[in-house]
Amino acid sequence: MSAPPQSTAREEQPMGAAQEALLTVDGVSKSFEGVHALIDVSFQIKAGHIKALIGPNGAGKTTLLNVINGLLLPDEGTVSLRGHELTRMKTEQIAMLGVSRTFQLVRLFTVNDATVLDNVLLGAHKRINPTILGTLFLRSRSGHKERVMREKAMEALSFVGMDWAADRVPTALSFGNQRLVELARSLMAEPELLLLDEPASGLNDAEVEQFLQLLMAVRARGVTILLVEHNMNLVMRLSDDIVVLDFGKRLAEGDPASICANPAVIEAYLGSECAIGGGSG
Amino acid sequence: MKLINRFWWILVLAFIALYPPTFGGMSPYRCGVLIFVGIYVILAVSLDLLMGFAGQISVGHAAFFAIGAYVSGILTAKYSAPPALAMMTGMALSAAVAWGVGRPVLALKEYYLAMATLALNEIVVTLIVGLQWLTGGASGLRDVPSFSLFGFTFDNQIHYYYLVWAIVLLVVASSLLLTRSPFGRTLIAIHSDETAAKTFGIDCAGYKIRVYVLSAVFASVAGSLFAHYMGFLAPDDFSVMTSINVLVMLYLGGIGTIYGPALGALFLKLLPEITVRLQDYEMLMNGVILILILVFMPKGLFGILTEIRSRLVTRGAR
Repeated sequence: MSAPPQSTAREEQPMGAAQEALLTVDGVSKSFEGVHALIDVSFQIKAGHIKALIGPNGAGKTTLLNVINGLLLPDEGTVSLRGHELTRMKTEQIAMLGVSRTFQLVRLFTVNDATVLDNVLLGAHKRINPTILGTLFLRSRSGHKERVMREKAMEALSFVGMDWAADRVPTALSFGNQRLVELARSLMAEPELLLLDEPASGLNDAEVEQFLQLLMAVRARGVTILLVEHNMNLVMRLSDDIVVLDFGKRLAEGDPASICANPAVIEAYLGSECAIGGGSG
Repeated sequence: MKLINRFWWILVLAFIALYPPTFGGMSPYRCGVLIFVGIYVILAVSLDLLMGFAGQISVGHAAFFAIGAYVSGILTAKYSAPPALAMMTGMALSAAVAWGVGRPVLALKEYYLAMATLALNEIVVTLIVGLQWLTGGASGLRDVPSFSLFGFTFDNQIHYYYLVWAIVLLVVASSLLLTRSPFGRTLIAIHSDETAAKTFGIDCAGYKIRVYVLSAVFASVAGSLFAHYMGFLAPDDFSVMTSINVLVMLYLGGIGTIYGPALGALFLKLLPEITVRLQDYEMLMNGVILILILVFMPKGLFGILTEIRSRLVTRGAR
């Protein structure tokens, strides 16, 4: 695995606000066979913040997440994490730098009766990095590491309230519980930046509330979050600021209050002004 | 649970160790049958690592069986090399071929991967037939000497029986260790969902290659043992039919369990010994039995055993 390119001072970063940006998306465009999914999208996420990415279906939100974690190569523009350019890196290399994600439709590992605990342990792959020779010949060392990781995985499961399901297979769990396991797996990677793709879809109100509390606790641990979400209650209560995409373009960006009152956003997406911080929006 | 496992292991080990003087009756024929079983257990278990765990289809596993057999056969019969050295040369060549072929081929998926691995098998067989001056071509390679190690020559069935089964145990034990470790867990993640696996930093291409190389090396060892035991090699033993037979063993025994494919190999190699009395109906019976098992036991023979065991355990717990 090649080391991330060190920040060569070819272009001085502007001082001030940009200095604390964890992630910078700069002029990203992507089209699929002539359909423009993303057109010149730029924004930054500050370290420790929760940024929401909202917009109508087909606005390019998931495409943007896929570009950020290297599943798609943008046609133009760059993505960088703390000044390291991610744009041409492979997904697994980007993961090594501390970017983790969940998926719109939960994607847990299910083959060969893999358990919930196995799934969460796989989140820590980059710290385990098992090899054939290490497994066969350094048994005590890898065994010790595995015990430590199991404890951490159980902690991650307790954190999301799923420790009771450690030995079950994921398919035996409800969809909401599978989402929690997926979150625990992503946290096990100890990410700097967590990308969440519609974490509240398919959850009932109580589960959404639980998820919201969890994400606040995740932020309190210093994890930066980029959240793609349609549930405006969750978005308004959780996010520090919001980017709105519409037809692949950045329509607006700002704090929840300004987005709520923005006529263009109301026209394209929200339908009406929204209540901020209110109970069940 | 752990106690039961240990009990079964001791039972199996005792059976393997005591078979020749007891059930085998020191008979060359009865021991010979189990030597073939052992060689096929190695092939089936090694393919299970690749297919059952990493989820990569191969319809050409006999290619590496062939490379091991012919490297051992040629180096010992024509160049009088020490058999152990020849075996290691075979392992190295198989590893090199797997590594070289694996990079482009393992990027393919499903049917495409199946076709590419099948093509590899065909290429190896074609080379064996074509390079007549080296391999003996279609008429075969004769006079492969017996295996020997540190001056000890394995010159009868009983010797080979213990040699083959010692290696079988080594292969099965290391495969179990690997698959029940974080390494095996990583393979399962790749098998389940490569995209999700990548987002946790799993280098899917790298892991697939490593497993392919390991599985090729094990198959190569099986080939070397085969060469020395038979003393004669012909291309037919390494055709795509052999690869497909190994595949059947995997599904028959229960893919992705290591024990299952071993059972599958045992069953498929012993079945003709039982049905041979039916003479004309032998092939028919074999076919019917296979279809019945595949249709009614989707988890294979090992699936049935674990089912029975878990029922006994829950009954015992009451």
